[in-house]
Amino acid sequence: MALLVDKYRPRSIEALTYHEDLSERLRSLAQSGDFPHLLVYGPSGAGKKTRIVTTLRELYGPGVEKIKIDSRVFQTTSNRKLEFNIVASVYHLEITPSDVGNFDRVVIQDLLKEVAQTQQVDQSARQRFKVVVINEADHLSRDAQAALRRTMEKYSPNLRLILLANSTANIIAPIRSRTLLVRVAAPTEVDICKVLSKVGKQEGWAEAEGLNKRIAKDSGRNLRRALLMFEAVHAQNEKVTDKTLIPPPDWEALIAQIADDIMAEHTPARILLVRAKLYDLLSHCIPPTTILKSLTFKLIPKIDDALKADVIKWSAFYEHRIRLGSKHIFHLEAFVAKFMRILESYLMGMDF
Amino acid sequence: MPPDIRSFFGGKGSQAPGSSQEQKAPKDAAKERKPKGRGKRKVLSDSEDDLVVEPTKKSTPKKPPPKKQMKRDSPVGEVTTTSDYFASSGKSKPTRSTPMKPKAQPERNAAEEPKASSAKSTPKAKVILNSEHAINGTSSSRKKGKPNYAVVLDDEDSYFAPKVIKDDMDSGEDIFVSDYKTGRKGDVDAYESDDDEDEIIQPTRKTMKGAKGTSSKKQVESSDDGIGIQMKDIPRKDIPEYKEPKAGKATNGTKASKSRKRKSEELEDNDDEDEDDIAPASKKAKASKGKSPAKKATPKKKREEEPEARTQVDDILDKIPTVRAPTPPSRDGDKKFNYAAFNANRSEPAPSSSAADLPVGAENCLAGLTFVFTGVLDSLERTTGQELVKRLGGKVTAAPSKKTSFVVLGSDAGPKKLETIKQFGLKTINEHGLFELIRKLPANGGDSKAAEQYEAKKSKNRRRSKKAAEEMVKQERTEAKKAASTNAGSKPQSMGDIAGSATTDSRLWTVKYAPTATSMICGNKGQVEKIQSWLRAWPVNLKIKFKKPGKDGWGIFRAMCLHGPPGIGKTTAAHLAAKLEGYDVIESNASDTRSKKLVETGLRGVLDTTSLLGYFAGDGKKVEAEKKKIVLVMDEVDGMSAGDRGGVGALATVCRKTSIPIILICNDRRLPKMKPFDSVAFDLPFRRPTVDQIRQRIMTICFREKLKVPPNVINALIEGSHADIRQVINMLSTAKLDQDAMDFDGGKKMSKSWEKHVILKPWDIVSKILGGGMFAPSSTSMLNDKIELYFNDHEFSNLMLQENYLGTNPILSNTYTGKGKNLKILELVDNAAESISDGDLVDRMIHGSQQQWALMPTHAVFSFVRPASFVAGSQAGSQTRFTSWLGNNSKQNKLMRFIKEIQGHMRLRTSGDRHEIRQQYLPLLWYRLVKELQKEGKERIDDIIALMDSYYLTKEDWDAVLELGVGPMDIANIKIDTQAKSAFTRTYNQMTHPLPYMKASQVVAPTKKSKERPDLEEAIDESDSGVSSGEDQAVLDDDKPLDLKKDKYVAAPKKKKAAAGKKAGAKGKGKDRIKDERERMRRRARRMLSLRRGREGLRSEKDVATIFV
Repeated sequence: MALLVDKYRPRSIEALTYHEDLSERLRSLAQSGDFPHLLVYGPSGAGKKTRIVTTLRELYGPGVEKIKIDSRVFQTTSNRKLEFNIVASVYHLEITPSDVGNFDRVVIQDLLKEVAQTQQVDQSARQRFKVVVINEADHLSRDAQAALRRTMEKYSPNLRLILLANSTANIIAPIRSRTLLVRVAAPTEVDICKVLSKVGKQEGWAEAEGLNKRIAKDSGRNLRRALLMFEAVHAQNEKVTDKTLIPPPDWEALIAQIADDIMAEHTPARILLVRAKLYDLLSHCIPPTTILKSLTFKLIPKIDDALKADVIKWSAFYEHRIRLGSKHIFHLEAFVAKFMRILESYLMGMDF
Repeated sequence: MPPDIRSFFGGKGSQAPGSSQEQKAPKDAAKERKPKGRGKRKVLSDSEDDLVVEPTKKSTPKKPPPKKQMKRDSPVGEVTTTSDYFASSGKSKPTRSTPMKPKAQPERNAAEEPKASSAKSTPKAKVILNSEHAINGTSSSRKKGKPNYAVVLDDEDSYFAPKVIKDDMDSGEDIFVSDYKTGRKGDVDAYESDDDEDEIIQPTRKTMKGAKGTSSKKQVESSDDGIGIQMKDIPRKDIPEYKEPKAGKATNGTKASKSRKRKSEELEDNDDEDEDDIAPASKKAKASKGKSPAKKATPKKKREEEPEARTQVDDILDKIPTVRAPTPPSRDGDKKFNYAAFNANRSEPAPSSSAADLPVGAENCLAGLTFVFTGVLDSLERTTGQELVKRLGGKVTAAPSKKTSFVVLGSDAGPKKLETIKQFGLKTINEHGLFELIRKLPANGGDSKAAEQYEAKKSKNRRRSKKAAEEMVKQERTEAKKAASTNAGSKPQSMGDIAGSATTDSRLWTVKYAPTATSMICGNKGQVEKIQSWLRAWPVNLKIKFKKPGKDGWGIFRAMCLHGPPGIGKTTAAHLAAKLEGYDVIESNASDTRSKKLVETGLRGVLDTTSLLGYFAGDGKKVEAEKKKIVLVMDEVDGMSAGDRGGVGALATVCRKTSIPIILICNDRRLPKMKPFDSVAFDLPFRRPTVDQIRQRIMTICFREKLKVPPNVINALIEGSHADIRQVINMLSTAKLDQDAMDFDGGKKMSKSWEKHVILKPWDIVSKILGGGMFAPSSTSMLNDKIELYFNDHEFSNLMLQENYLGTNPILSNTYTGKGKNLKILELVDNAAESISDGDLVDRMIHGSQQQWALMPTHAVFSFVRPASFVAGSQAGSQTRFTSWLGNNSKQNKLMRFIKEIQGHMRLRTSGDRHEIRQQYLPLLWYRLVKELQKEGKERIDDIIALMDSYYLTKEDWDAVLELGVGPMDIANIKIDTQAKSAFTRTYNQMTHPLPYMKASQVVAPTKKSKERPDLEEAIDESDSGVSSGEDQAVLDDDKPLDLKKDKYVAAPKKKKAAAGKKAGAKGKGKDRIKDERERMRRRARRMLSLRRGREGLRSEKDVATIFV
């Protein structure tokens, strides 16, 4: 009994609910026999992976659903051993090179070449090529992307790539030009509501339409999140009505608390207190940019309109720095200090 | 006033206990604050005392005259002793004084009425009373029991006695004073004139001891003392009212305090080490004598000093403009005093940046004065100021005390210091006052009392070193004579040689002046004695096979390990002790190779032999039979290095069974490589001697070498070298080459150029840069100095700064108040934080892929100097914390590993990456897995396990989920019923669970890997050029040219493919093949291991081992 989000994941292209035209295109791609490299991008929770899996099924048949995890050990040039997990079926494999951080190039080079140089042994296979799905392609290092580009052409008889990314911004142009770009947009709130009510019906839960709408809104058009929230609400409440409170995730609750702390007092001592909480979030694997973003959006409603633009500006400024730097807490703290200063000088009617 | 005198003589015995009690009281009840110099310094009377205590003085008639000086209204000039200081540093508890008062009063009354009556009984009662408040009462009463103790001339065993005597004397004086007060005022001056003599004459008091007649007077006095103290405890303002109505009482009080002060002064004089502490004396002299009680009440700050015989210097001192010290913050109730709040209340003038030029004063003009610097001075850097004072003969102490002559006060003075200032009513001046002082005071402190005493002490010291030098010369002469006489028969002309060598001695000074007797050793005397007694007992211990530890515990050790910093005489001590105990020394040091083999073979010949010196002697010399004992001195044991492989272990083994004593010497005992000696050698730490311990010896040497070096220069040299005696002697020897005298600046310069570079610890770095001193307008430190500070520990300094920069009270915000101040602070903090953020970008360029190490200074500026420049200021109220970044970072790495593990397991079911797992799945999973177990206990266990199995989560993952929660889901907030939890664990373990895959580290991959790697390496080793060149070709065909380093790398895919194939096969055919393979692997590994062992040592061995497990 898995969670709803995985239990009711569509398995075939027909079962996909929204973005019908995209589903149609994918189906015809799969059936055409001339399957290109794909770069599928879109926000998280939009259904990229689900669409890929259904497309693969369309390509190879149900055999593609028999997957297992292989564990490989790679050795870097510096003799470091990397353990790397691969999800594989007979027809495809799925890797997440960013698991090994900066050594992703090693994995890409070794593994892709290995796959590309072996021909499909199974004569009954529908396609001659194997598909390699690369997750988090936008986190690939430059080196790894460079290693990809030539491989994509040279071994195309035996290999097709499907890159999954949240945005194409970090993908180098040569790769973008070698792939077919597929954008999977986030589902609309209406789409999400439909899915929620469908799932609720299948589970036999009483439907609360207002609640579903609120979930769809709160989820930020992230279907995975919406489903998980949906289940959380139902798990925590015997009876669900339109008014039922949606429990925020733990980290968001803490960020809300930080925002309150910041608003309550503007002193160095308070920054120290906030620092401890930020450390807590960071050490519990909440990405710094996520922290900064949610913190900013928690702070914005609490301040005067005149300040909002400025706060957003600084938030963006420090988000950029987080990306450039390595010790994230420094930048988060600098943002907090900046915010306090701006707010305090505004409250005192001084120019800042 | 005959009766008085009688009582004076008589009361001694009983009095002493009372006062001694009082002396101790502060120490014992450390918490209690004593505004008055209650605690007396206990002086261990040294040999110096002998000089002072000349029998001739005993009968001096002058002694009896008491000291006058009633008037010191404020505690200002009081001498602080260490105990006092500590006592005052505790929180003040005025409560103490209240109980005392009632007690003391009746007594006083009793005492006042009859002077010579029933003295004895009163004293006793008094003592008892005192004992109530002073824990030491017992000891004092004991003293009383035998009044004879006063006889004391042997300073060695009774360290108590001299003190007591002095006390007696003081109280005697007090009596007179009180008499005088009540009766005749005219005599005051006469008494006063006697004061000086009194100080010297303490020993004379011995005579009085003889007189046993106890007088009530004494009693009275001691009780008065109590009163005086009480009065002091009372808040200043109260004093006037209190005193005026009861003039008699007040006088008593003052007198008492005065006497106390006096006592301590005298004590100080005896304290020969305390050369420079003469300040109080001058103060005393200044203290006004003829004032009426009412006057006493004048505000402390303006302490009026009206010396009976006003010297010119005193005038000058009085004319120095004082500044008003800010009121110390009240510390009622909460102990933690909010510095920021305190600061917010006072506004200070903006620091004037005009750097005042340092005045040039007459030489030694500050002699005898004691200064304390506190706060940030406007135009003078603190260190500069301190140096200035030292150069001119003044003394600088870290914390204010009674003895302090002046407090040089800057802004942001510490609250503690302010409190002390208020308590003692110290004179506070600013740097302008200091300059004026310097400009006006005549050379050598002029004619002030302090200067005189300073001078006296100096000459005493001079005399002493002269004497020591003479002794040395004498000794040398006798030795030379002895040598000459022994040689006389055979070589008559050797006399001439000796004479010649005496004039041109080519030995190094360090050898020439190496101590030849225990008395010449500077510091660590106890340690040397320990070595001696250990050596002495060694043969006995050998007989009983080292079974008895003895009282110091060294009886069970055959070896001894001396350790301590360089240059403090460890080797010298070892040699000296051996010589004194009649051992012949065999020395081995880092210049000898001491590998395992050499230690074993080389020492074999030594350990069981005796010295030839026990059987033979040079022509004409007597055979010294006792010289056949040998001691082995292993010097510089921690210098056993790479060349001495196994030497340490071998040496430790030798130490275990040696039949001669072995002395090991090293600098750092805690090094890991010194571990083998932990249980085989007795540890004997040597400590750095204090300046005082070294100074005399150095002065002696200077005298002998006819080098004129004033004491303050010697102090500077010793401090500069961190008490490294050898270095100081070497410096002097160098100086002697081209000069006959050394002045302060010369000495400073020299010790600076000889300075051993000390690397600061991260804590020191950050408190130095944030402390404010470096950024004060008066600071002379350059940007480079600050950058230099960063490089003391470039990895930690910026992290430490980031951790602590919020805890300061920035100097730059001092000109603001209230909300403006807060805004200013926020602005500064924001600037600092932004700069730290900039620094991180630079850091990324250094440690990231670019590796631009040339940017280190840039990083230093952005991440360290610049932020500090904004927020530097007093760090009061927050202690320096260690950076928390490291801990949080490693925690993050750990939790990230958990997340990856969880995601790896869930992967077959979910599509999210690890961030999505953490942010979206985890809250729900946590609820379903953890919260439900907590809420509903055992009933849900099956559901929970089913959910876990559906996601292939393991029990470890469950623990990880628990740990990954944050905020409301924090692990600290979750209390799961232990029963439910153990039931859960039990149930989980009973069932089998699906696993999505075999862990790579468990079986397959590592085996495969390990098998392939050896082949690969061998192949490459052997055929570096042949085979791999072909491979290189192949590589070059690829899209990217690869460098040579990739040889191994290019081969790797092959290996993997092969391995993969094998693995597939193995999987197909079942476990047998895997087993076979592993067996082969293991064999191979063993072979490899033996091959490698020699080459690569332990590390690779371990690696291989882990690979093959």
